[in-house]
Amino acid sequence: MEASHFDERSFFSTVHGSGVRALLIGRRALVLLGLPLLTADYDYWIAIDDIERFNALAAAFHLHPTRTAADARRHDRYVLENDEHVDVLVARSVPTLHGLPVDFEGLWTRRQTVDVGTVPVCIPSLDDLILTKQIASRPKDLEDVRLLRILKESRR
Amino acid sequence: MIPEAVEAAVSRVVSPDELRLALESTIPAEEREEVLELVRWFTSRYASNEARLAYVRQAVARWQRARTKNIS
Repeated sequence: MEASHFDERSFFSTVHGSGVRALLIGRRALVLLGLPLLTADYDYWIAIDDIERFNALAAAFHLHPTRTAADARRHDRYVLENDEHVDVLVARSVPTLHGLPVDFEGLWTRRQTVDVGTVPVCIPSLDDLILTKQIASRPKDLEDVRLLRILKESRR
Repeated sequence: MIPEAVEAAVSRVVSPDELRLALESTIPAEEREEVLELVRWFTSRYASNEARLAYVRQAVARWQRARTKNIS
């Protein structure tokens, strides 16, 4: 079966060119590190001040926000959707299950860039990806933590 | 198991102890090698990030089509 006609590379390129501080998180970031995982959604963590610009660029891909920017700021997250589903986290900081604060600014400072074709995509560092997996802390996040630990150990 | 129960099982928040175990327990060499072998396969079969992302999109689309077919 064909995937939907969402032009992923063009989306990444537009995000990069916009100057929006957007980190691809979640399993797609893990795929970019070489882990063979399936996911239907995109997960982004963006700077809280960049919501309007992120929504504007997403509109060009017919992705519509489920909340106004003001509402998204109040709720810390929202979704961009059409036949694609993009979860967007906008909180300045989110605690892990153990209460450790995970700050967007720190993640952004320590980010790494991977290329998709010729397009740079920003993702958190390996350690920070492990931290982000401790926010939702579902069983599949724990599986991902183990995978990331193995990847981290293999790179030492 | 009904889908709602499956959903509840996969969406539950784990306990702090479960998380601690995932973070701190020693990963057996066998598990580590199995994962690294999968990574080697994935990154050689799909040599670029673009190809790997395309694989994911196509695999998810296949899964969604199969699920729709089974429901209808």
